[in-house]
Amino acid sequence: MAARQYFAPNSVDEALQVIGRHGRIGVVAGGTDAVVGHRSGKSPLADAIVGIHRLQDLNGIKVANDGGLCIGALTSYASLLSSNEVLERYTALADASAIVGSCATRNVGTLGGNIVNASPAMDTGAPLLVFDAVTELRSQARTRQLPIAELWTGPGQSVVADDELLVSVTLPSLPPQSGSAYLRLEYRRAMEIAVVGVAVQITLGADGVVAAASIALAAVGPTCFLVDAAGNAIVGRSLDESSTAEAAAAAADAARPISDNRASENYRRQMVSVVTGRAIQVAAARAAGRTVNIPASQRWREATQ
Amino acid sequence: MINPLSLSVNGVPYTAAIEPHRTLLSVLREEFGITGPKEGCDDSECGACMVLIDGEPTNACCYLALQAEDREITTIEGISDSPVGSRIQARMLEDGGIQCGFCTPGIVVMATALLSSNPNPNEEEIRNALAGNLCRCTGYQKIVAAVSKAAGDLE
Amino acid sequence: MTIGDRVPRGDGPEKVTGQAKYTADITMTGMLHARFLYAERPRARIIGIDTAAAKALPGVFAVITQDDMLDVRYGFFVKDRTVFATDEVRFEAEVVAAVAALTPEIAAEAVRLIEVDYEDLEPILDVEDALRDDVDLVHAGFASYEQMAGVDRDRNDCAHMTSVKGDVDAGFAEADVVVSARYRSDMSHAAPIEPHAVIAEWQGERVTIWSTSQVPFPARSQVARTLGIPESNVRIIVPHLGGGFGGKCDVHFETHIAALAKVTRRPVKLVFTRREEFLATDKPRHAAIIDLETGVRNDGTITARRAKIILDGGAYSGDSHFASEISIMMLQGPYRIPNLSAEVHTVYTNRTPSGSVRAPGAPQTVWAVEQHTEEIAAQLGMDPIDFRRKNLVEDGDTGQTGQRFDNPNAAACLERALEMAGYGQELPEGEAFGVSCGWWFSLPVASGAYVKLNADGSGTIVTGAQENGSGSVMGMPALAAEELGMAPEQFSIVYQDTSAGPFDLGSAGSQTTMNNGRAVIDAARQVRDELLQLAAHTLEAAVDDLELVDGAVRVRGAPTVAVTIGELAAQAHGGELLLGKGSGQPLPMPEHDASECVGRLFYPAFAHPSFFCHVGRIRVDQDTGVVQVLDWSAAFDFGTILNPIGAEGQVEGGTVQGIGFGLLEGSIYKDGHQQNASLLEYKLQTAIDAPPIKIAFVGGPAPAGPHGARAIGEPPVVGPPAALANGIAAATGARVRHLPMTPERVWESMQATGVN
Repeated sequence: MAARQYFAPNSVDEALQVIGRHGRIGVVAGGTDAVVGHRSGKSPLADAIVGIHRLQDLNGIKVANDGGLCIGALTSYASLLSSNEVLERYTALADASAIVGSCATRNVGTLGGNIVNASPAMDTGAPLLVFDAVTELRSQARTRQLPIAELWTGPGQSVVADDELLVSVTLPSLPPQSGSAYLRLEYRRAMEIAVVGVAVQITLGADGVVAAASIALAAVGPTCFLVDAAGNAIVGRSLDESSTAEAAAAAADAARPISDNRASENYRRQMVSVVTGRAIQVAAARAAGRTVNIPASQRWREATQ
Repeated sequence: MINPLSLSVNGVPYTAAIEPHRTLLSVLREEFGITGPKEGCDDSECGACMVLIDGEPTNACCYLALQAEDREITTIEGISDSPVGSRIQARMLEDGGIQCGFCTPGIVVMATALLSSNPNPNEEEIRNALAGNLCRCTGYQKIVAAVSKAAGDLE
Repeated sequence: MTIGDRVPRGDGPEKVTGQAKYTADITMTGMLHARFLYAERPRARIIGIDTAAAKALPGVFAVITQDDMLDVRYGFFVKDRTVFATDEVRFEAEVVAAVAALTPEIAAEAVRLIEVDYEDLEPILDVEDALRDDVDLVHAGFASYEQMAGVDRDRNDCAHMTSVKGDVDAGFAEADVVVSARYRSDMSHAAPIEPHAVIAEWQGERVTIWSTSQVPFPARSQVARTLGIPESNVRIIVPHLGGGFGGKCDVHFETHIAALAKVTRRPVKLVFTRREEFLATDKPRHAAIIDLETGVRNDGTITARRAKIILDGGAYSGDSHFASEISIMMLQGPYRIPNLSAEVHTVYTNRTPSGSVRAPGAPQTVWAVEQHTEEIAAQLGMDPIDFRRKNLVEDGDTGQTGQRFDNPNAAACLERALEMAGYGQELPEGEAFGVSCGWWFSLPVASGAYVKLNADGSGTIVTGAQENGSGSVMGMPALAAEELGMAPEQFSIVYQDTSAGPFDLGSAGSQTTMNNGRAVIDAARQVRDELLQLAAHTLEAAVDDLELVDGAVRVRGAPTVAVTIGELAAQAHGGELLLGKGSGQPLPMPEHDASECVGRLFYPAFAHPSFFCHVGRIRVDQDTGVVQVLDWSAAFDFGTILNPIGAEGQVEGGTVQGIGFGLLEGSIYKDGHQQNASLLEYKLQTAIDAPPIKIAFVGGPAPAGPHGARAIGEPPVVGPPAALANGIAAATGARVRHLPMTPERVWESMQATGVN
């Protein structure tokens, strides 16, 4: 099961040419998913490996004109965590980046790799969904923007075409009094994969009423997905036990968990409700300007202290 | 198909001709005879293979060797060349941070990276940094104490 | 005086610089690589094996099966096993064939080309069913197997033992309250960070095997037996060992690789993946069902206990009998119980064969017993600590086979641990303390060592002992130095090489310091006597007037009349060499009466018992069942602490390992297949999970053991699961009766109790 060819293009154009010829299946950024998959035999490396690590144009975080954020696909989790913009304004993404794998994984693993790997339990998926992230996909023939909600189609599956490269993710700017959080249920305090993951983005209006809310789930369906009913349950209301509980219940309702080695379907579904409630609390606290440290998965109690 | 590879390991330039799927760990151990980094698991969970690539800690078992072209790799064998690394080694020795020693290379590499970027970590920061290095012998207590004391020594 | 000093370990420098060579680090010219063909099914008859295509693959040097081996069965207690599968495969990772090839990839490809014709059979997976008379036999030929004298077995029960004391019916008749419960624990793993590896090379009729073995001498015996050659033709060397915890005891793949090396006439190397380490190492910790029933009087006096343990032994008996006997000895534990009737069954199933992992049979059993202890207290309306205080053994009490306790420190350990933990202070919501008490033993076994002085007065210890990382062998220089007035750094050690050193059992049973330590002391004393004789001659003094201090022999009271050890050693090299040998005589068992017990083998009583108490402080997330361990206190009576670094290291490591067994570590099986055979899915404790641990060593020198030291390697792992369980019950009001106590199981127990 040996890969036979290796390319390490020096520019995006060169990369697109190679991908155009050999397909994108062999694209390797940091390798933290691809090489692990190869060694386990689950997803052997393609015949033609295309290492995109040299494409430094794709590495970096830029503030867009409208105040949003443009994140290059090769940006590592560690880089995301060093960005004040991410930490302060797109905190859910920081919550997620802080807990992917280990310290070593976070240096090498990239946001783009996480997105294209399309694991249903990926940590950055739910935050990107609640931020209405838009991906930029490029091929030799064209460049297109695709909302992240349309990207994933199933476990490990996406609509990224065989000749396309994910080059960046753009996060639209957020109104003031916005706060977000990503929490995952984990059994030990590091090196975990989400049993259940929930991202919440809240914008508060006057009187602390919720002006906008977005809730997305991870690890309880074939892909990460938004739960409109859950977000809608709190829009126009102030956040209290009852409104939070409604949103949590809507999220639990929408979840399609499976039973596997990590948890039973029933437990996962119950935990969606619990974790959603906590994520809402953290997002709301942050929207109100209070500090709840990263990662929210471990610091969520600070929201109500 | 065989590809040429040139990189530097512990300050020494190496070249090899290898197949694309080869990991950095297997090239270090099998082509260059650098056996300090160990293989302890199949899926980047244990950290026994940890090396520095241009100073950043990385699990070599899941890093393609060819992607390390022109990079500077530091393994446990080169750690004593740095004041931070050698201080950590000294403290690990004195303070009982080593039992079977299999996790030790990865731990020392990670701790060196930690203290190089955060010279004064608190206990939680040390434990979080080392969370990707599994140890089955020590329960981590003496390792954490050794790293903490090394940080103090270096001040 | 070096005893009691914090001495850094002698093998530290090579380990911390990456120079230390472990088995997988060794390469030899002309080396071939081995891979195994596994059954990949839990139970099947082998109709035929076709290796032709595999053998024909370019780069393949050999493909062997049981047809290439002697028709010999082996097994520590029951000889139920052949090197490769013969007519039947009995668990998913039974080795059916082995390949040696130029590269691991070619070997793997050859394995894929081996064709085996199987007739799948219904696997036997339920231990209670397996004990029935009308159920299939895992070993149809069980009656024909040779066994160690004293083993009691029948059909699928390969180790049946009982522990009987007093009159249990009368005892229950006296009870005011009877409490009973069933507990269940899953299989778990030793999971050392270093996977198994073996290299074998023949020179003529002699084979040298480098192996990740904790027990080179027992392994050598099995290799010699299965290859049909004398032990003197087999040399097993253990390079640095990357941990074992029992998973590298017994014999594993030394014979397979030696056989490949013989047939290919090249060195052959095998290195396990982590997945193989889970599936094929056949040395995990036994899954168990534990039924307990105890009678007590209203005042808290225990009057009687009945217990039944069923251990899932898996496909072969291996060294399971250690677990059987130790588990049964955990049932009275450190408590006063006048009437006891207990039995253990060790059942063959079509799962990975279980074996003696650190404190075999104990963490699971104590987890059940100590929860039971607190349940009894709760039923009586008694505080669980007071209940323990009332019932912990004291001087003069007797154990379950009548051994007399001599000033046991059980109560002292309890009080000390409670004090360190701040037990009794008010805790925030969701937090609780969890307590467990227990006992352990020292294992008396024959062991030998040599001590020699080199011409310059430096020394070398030659021992067969095995250093698994605990530091026990690294502690030998201090013991020798103490006898000779030298410094530990002046000694090198030759160890874990069956050709160099005399027999030692290996790093098993916490026995290295206890037995080999005394052998080293004996050997050093012999050298000391020789030095004094030589010095008496040189200094023209009487031997009785001489003392050995700071590297020299001098006349007592006239310190300038002296000769250095170096000078004496140089002299000796012109005449009679300075060479000592020691063989720690096995310590006697305490007096006991096991006459009414059945099937007892090695531990009818516990020699030199040590006692301990753990107190953990935990937080349970009431909505998810996730348990966080906040801090830990543990008190042990280990007698004299020879090296605090080593002793603390064992407690800290064992405690965290025990926490892992308690909370997250368990094999998930489906239809006879392990589902979580990776470190991603079988979760070990990380540095951020592990709590800070406070330790107290209680009590003075033990009556025996080197300088009065007791066994310390295993006890620390015994208590933590139980302490966690009691903490969870205190925090949630719900008892979790399935180990590991995963968040989902904690949550389910809370649901069942109607807590939230």
